[in-house]
Amino acid sequence: MAGTPHTTSLRTYALTRLALALPMVWILLTMVFLLMRVAPGDPISAALGGRVPAEQLQERREAAGYDRPLIVQYFEYLGEIARLDFGETIVDRRPVTKVILQNGAATLELTLVALIVALGVGISVGLISGRYRDTPLDIAGRLFGILIYAAPVFFLGFLAQIVFSQWLGWFPSSGRASPVTSFDLDTPTNLFLIDALIALDFDAFIDVLKHIVLPATTLGLVIGGVFIRLVRVNVLQTLQGDYIEAARARGLSERTVVWHHAFKNALVPVITIIGLQIALLLGGAVLTEQTFNWPGIGSELIRYLNNRDYIAIQGIITFFALLVVAISLVIDLVNAWVDPRVRY
Amino acid sequence: MGRSLRILLLLGAALLVLAAGGCGGDDDGGGGEGATIIHGTTDQPVSYDPAGSYDLPSWNVIYNAIWGLLSLPPGGNQPEPALAESCNFDNPSTYTCKLREGLKFSDGTDLTAEDVKHSFDRNNRINDPKGAAPLLGSLYKETGKVTGDEVEVVDDLTVTFHLNRPDATWPFIMTTGAGGIVPSEYPADKIQPDAQAVGHGPYKIAEYRPGEQTVLERNDDFYGEAPKNERVIIQYFDKSSALKLAVENGEVDLGYRNLTPTEVEDLRGADGVEVVEGNGTEIRYMVFNTKLEPGNNEAVRKAMAYVIDRQAIVDNVYNGTVEPLYSMVPRGLAGHTDNFKTVYGETPDKAKAEQVLEQAGVQTPVKAEIWWTPSHYGDLSADEYAEIKRALDGSGLFDVQLKSTEWDEYSEASSKDQYPVFQLGWFPDYPDPDNYLTPFYRSDSFLNNHYKNEQVDKLLADQQASTDQTEREEFFKQIQEIAAEEVPIIPIWQGKQVAAVREGITGVADTFDPSFQFRYWLVAKE
Repeated sequence: MAGTPHTTSLRTYALTRLALALPMVWILLTMVFLLMRVAPGDPISAALGGRVPAEQLQERREAAGYDRPLIVQYFEYLGEIARLDFGETIVDRRPVTKVILQNGAATLELTLVALIVALGVGISVGLISGRYRDTPLDIAGRLFGILIYAAPVFFLGFLAQIVFSQWLGWFPSSGRASPVTSFDLDTPTNLFLIDALIALDFDAFIDVLKHIVLPATTLGLVIGGVFIRLVRVNVLQTLQGDYIEAARARGLSERTVVWHHAFKNALVPVITIIGLQIALLLGGAVLTEQTFNWPGIGSELIRYLNNRDYIAIQGIITFFALLVVAISLVIDLVNAWVDPRVRY
Repeated sequence: MGRSLRILLLLGAALLVLAAGGCGGDDDGGGGEGATIIHGTTDQPVSYDPAGSYDLPSWNVIYNAIWGLLSLPPGGNQPEPALAESCNFDNPSTYTCKLREGLKFSDGTDLTAEDVKHSFDRNNRINDPKGAAPLLGSLYKETGKVTGDEVEVVDDLTVTFHLNRPDATWPFIMTTGAGGIVPSEYPADKIQPDAQAVGHGPYKIAEYRPGEQTVLERNDDFYGEAPKNERVIIQYFDKSSALKLAVENGEVDLGYRNLTPTEVEDLRGADGVEVVEGNGTEIRYMVFNTKLEPGNNEAVRKAMAYVIDRQAIVDNVYNGTVEPLYSMVPRGLAGHTDNFKTVYGETPDKAKAEQVLEQAGVQTPVKAEIWWTPSHYGDLSADEYAEIKRALDGSGLFDVQLKSTEWDEYSEASSKDQYPVFQLGWFPDYPDPDNYLTPFYRSDSFLNNHYKNEQVDKLLADQQASTDQTEREEFFKQIQEIAAEEVPIIPIWQGKQVAAVREGITGVADTFDPSFQFRYWLVAKE
């Protein structure tokens, strides 16, 4: 029964954390609702203003129910969220859940590949920088990390488009796939790379891969900047650890010491940080999608914002908020499980 | 280190191999009648149900896949039979159409007079907030209500429209997206999902992925001439800069609508790209609230009309992608006259403006607050109004204060007596001068600028009641003359239709006419 106190404590912590998440979600939902209603404009005047008389606009607003008491709309909204029904978009009458699933899949695909790029760049450059501290390699790595972290994602994206698409002609400048592939490819998962593999359509796979290279690299580099600095610092710390000294004292080769003892341990904190970067990735994805015309949920959010479609906007933002809350909850729980000190 | 470097090198090599595969143009089966045309645009549709849309992007697809009884032929500005074999006024308020025999919807069902009645009735009954039911005002007395007598099914192929007042524009209204004919299986009281859009036209809607693409495929059962291509993919772009890049890289065959003048200018010099221009009927104008100072004084309005420099706006702001406009009725429409040019001249005339103000005893400089919006008519509105201010202030007769606000607030405030002078724009429902005169000059105008002239009201009513085109054009001429004399509105410019097309794409110029309908069936890839 030695593990019982540990388990009970973790369960209590999880329940407490969950209980705290609920008011957080409620506050978020309320803020989203109020902000959307306080902001001027509505979908009717966005679409038909300047075309039909003011009275007719008002009639149409009333017919659509936009003038109902806020409190009625608020409770209706909360009720729908509780049923996981985000309603139907006003602009193009799509169920918001479908928007989240379809366009969310495009965003998921982009962020996953971006994460792979971020980890690839972040870990490799961070390890090299840390291992060769204060050498030109380290300085170059640090400088690179700062630059990509500081550069706005749309700027990097634009640069990538100019260089690799327009000048060199290596990769397409926009979209998830060429228009013909988009139409011909069956998309049961809406993750085009996976769908192309399922269909055993190699040409489509290459086409999709070519389209994802620039946006994923752009987004990945921005996040990679954080990883470079984190990995470098961890490598420096672990290389100074007693157990590294002990390993060296045991006569292990420098290569074994560095690879098997220092680097592996230096990467542990990265796992925690990955979760924390999700919000940053989602934020970056909105801008990346805009730059590369990637039909993800971020692009859709902007489109609905421009059309004042507050049903769609509140649905998508609520989804984002719930996602970030859920991820932070999972990270907290994993942390608590890994490190019991967190629970106290 | 060694292994990590090897992995990095392998990744790099893989990317190079990928890149070596090339990008740019898509392999779409080459040119000719089997070709796929890829049209890039930033215009996104609302709905492909004729009862649920009142926007150009939706109507453009409806014009290609869900035809109405009448249509506007390429280059023409008078309605011609489409699904109908013939349509005629029995009297000024009764209009009868005879359908073509043997028409079938894209789902294989027969297209009959019952479907025509169903299409119009449901449009008005649904009265969708984003739909065009108000256009059917001369058929249905009240939007949202249908008595059932408005559209009479005479027999399987004959249908009669009983208008509640004489309306010469009715044939034009039938050519709009609101006149698209859908099957009786479409719900009578709600919008049909876009995935199940059905109609009869040169194309069928094969797929619609909002925000991504619409795919049109050739309709082999179309009664008319087959399209010059097999498939059209309309690819949506969020930003015109991305569209421009896609045109340059050959990722789309043509980029049409909303490329900025600077982007158009850049594309003029790009390899393998040709810029095609055509007559457009989109207009911009400046409205005076005739109840508020200084626009409540006709002399001030006239003086402004004398000194505004349209050519400077065309050259300095829009790089020649628009043309000066000297009447609310744009060039290309039957009945257009350049009255503002006749009365106020083509170039600014400070002396005449000064004289008008002096005769009216107006002290100069006249203070004027002019409003514009940055969020509805494009980013160049700021430059356009800066140019207007420059001309007015430069004359020494005016002291202009420019003010701007977001569209949401702007659209409401401008019609509620809050702005003395303000910017607006118009996009036609149909290419008839009525659509450029009645909404603006009738005393119950949506502008709510308090302009009232009983003679104009009568002339507007008369032209709507007349089915004689020559007589109507005479009425239009008189209305435009009065409008230029009294200046409740100053027309500024009329846009051209501009597309950037890749080498080998033909037919785009053929579809550029005042109807603003993009007829994909004319476009071919060599």
